[in-house]
Amino acid sequence: MRTRIFSVVIYLAATISGLLVLLYPFFLPAVSIQSGYSAFRAGEMPLMMTLLLGLCLLVLIIEAQGPLMNTKLVALLGVLVAINSALRFLETAIPGPGGFTPIFFLIILVGYVFGGRVGFLMGALTMFVSALVTGGVGPWLPGQMFTAGWVGMSALLVRPIVRIIKTKHVKPGASVNVPEIILLAILGLVWGFLYGAIMNLWQWPFIVGAQGQSWVAGLGFIETLQRYLAYYLITSLVWDTIAAIGNVLLILAFGIPTLKALRRFQLRFTFNYTPDDDSISPIHSEGIAR
Amino acid sequence: MRQPWAWVIWLATVLVLLSITRNFLYLVIILLCVIFIRLALRKAGASLPGPFSLWKIAIWIITFATVFNALTSHYGATVLFTIPGNLPLLSGKVTLEAMVYGATNGLILVGMLASFMVLSLALPVRDLIGLIPGAFFPVAVVTSIAVTYLPTTLRQFQQIREAQAIRGHQMKTLRDWLPLLMPLLVGGLEHAMQLAEAMTARGFASTKSMFGGQRIRPRVFMLVGIVLLAAGWLVQLGRKPEGGIILIVVGAILIIAGLWQQGRQSHRTAYHRPGWEWEDILTVLITCCILAIFLFPFPGINRESLYYDPYPKLTVPQFAPVLGLAILGLLTPGLLVLNRKPAKGLAQES
Repeated sequence: MRTRIFSVVIYLAATISGLLVLLYPFFLPAVSIQSGYSAFRAGEMPLMMTLLLGLCLLVLIIEAQGPLMNTKLVALLGVLVAINSALRFLETAIPGPGGFTPIFFLIILVGYVFGGRVGFLMGALTMFVSALVTGGVGPWLPGQMFTAGWVGMSALLVRPIVRIIKTKHVKPGASVNVPEIILLAILGLVWGFLYGAIMNLWQWPFIVGAQGQSWVAGLGFIETLQRYLAYYLITSLVWDTIAAIGNVLLILAFGIPTLKALRRFQLRFTFNYTPDDDSISPIHSEGIAR
Repeated sequence: MRQPWAWVIWLATVLVLLSITRNFLYLVIILLCVIFIRLALRKAGASLPGPFSLWKIAIWIITFATVFNALTSHYGATVLFTIPGNLPLLSGKVTLEAMVYGATNGLILVGMLASFMVLSLALPVRDLIGLIPGAFFPVAVVTSIAVTYLPTTLRQFQQIREAQAIRGHQMKTLRDWLPLLMPLLVGGLEHAMQLAEAMTARGFASTKSMFGGQRIRPRVFMLVGIVLLAAGWLVQLGRKPEGGIILIVVGAILIIAGLWQQGRQSHRTAYHRPGWEWEDILTVLITCCILAIFLFPFPGINRESLYYDPYPKLTVPQFAPVLGLAILGLLTPGLLVLNRKPAKGLAQES
């Protein structure tokens, strides 16, 4: 129990730190006004942001990989990441409309079925492996891995809602597939927009020196938010709307059979081997999932 | 040059230079150096790692950044033309300064992208995976399985598509992808099952040291490190940036110490570990000199020329020849690659 609490604290600390790093354009103005720090070091910030985000990501990955890892999970994740990276590879070779990408569908469903840790690793490693094979490694990669990891981890939030629906609104024995899929589709819709909005933050203070929708040091929180929204509406809304609709359509079209397949294999992957003989070496039982 | 760390240090130097200057004269020289190395690597026989074309992406990024900034930023003294009406964000004067500012941003992004492409070109994927620290042993295994299984997945996808096509399956709606996706997924999961059994049978993860367990001390280090990192980040944005930087450095050291402790538990072997050759050492020394010249205030170097802003009126940026020459040091790996003697056997064959 103590280990679990400690683990949650590390998750929270790394996630909040990552958020603070990503969201600095929104709270920096207030700080800089207080300090009279007008000449902001715009050139250094993206690099520093990448380094800090990378460190937060490392901590999250090391925490996520710890207790869950055994041969079955290693193989499962390896293969699922390969399938998702193949989908991204195909998408890169034959681009879909706008921000449409087939990868979040599987990240969300894997996170929902196998839990937040596996979901986080699935998201982060999909970005990493697909960047390796497509030559897309860059300073944006930690941000992509972090955000895609959150996508997978957040799928866990759907579980309690489905449980409530199951206990309160569905007759015993009846299927909860439809509300489950609708909730996951809503999550896909939200992440379609949120992923783009978060990833824009990496470059927003850096790329544009424009009026009205660019980041300017010394403005208040509300005005900065208004400027960011203006920038988002102009540059990303159409792109992200296509991404969000794509996520919804993929989850609605393929969600139920994919969930069935993943659950069937989840049962096969999590079998417990309990030897009759107590004298069995604990060393040899480590490779078996618990 | 075979040492992955030498390439990583070269990459880090390029990124630092791209980050600390907005003078487009320096940026163009950096970009040309990176492109030269890319061409040298391709001449030396390195194959392209992905479906991207640097030229297409570069033209797209620079054009987009220039046009976008010109249309939306209405600062600057040299007015090229004016967009009439009351179009939100767009209406107003279009200035040369805004175009130059946008193009500079585009150059920085292209430089970053190109330098990472050079890294992907210079190092095979297995070397990149080999750079993953020991603490991330499970993740490195997952990554190497994924990278190995990826071509098989693409082949399977092709086979499934052909098999379905022979049966008369047509792709008309989104749901028609289901007969392609499900066999791919289920086949992959079956493969994962077999792989896991094979790994268990061969004793993979059969010792405690293999996955390290959840030791408390490295995790405490990392937790404290993360908290210091966040505190340092906030402090450096405020009144005393120096204090914040110190906190960030201490936090980073603690995290790295935690990772190092975690990594000590996993034992890794390698069939062939690339050593440090004189070419690698020379590259590292030269890149370190470049970094020192750019980061430390040496007398006689005009560091003001690094900070250039085209607003409010476009001027020719200052140029310090010493800094320009220092940037040319980035060419070192490219020149070494071009001067590399072919292996004896290959030379005889040719």
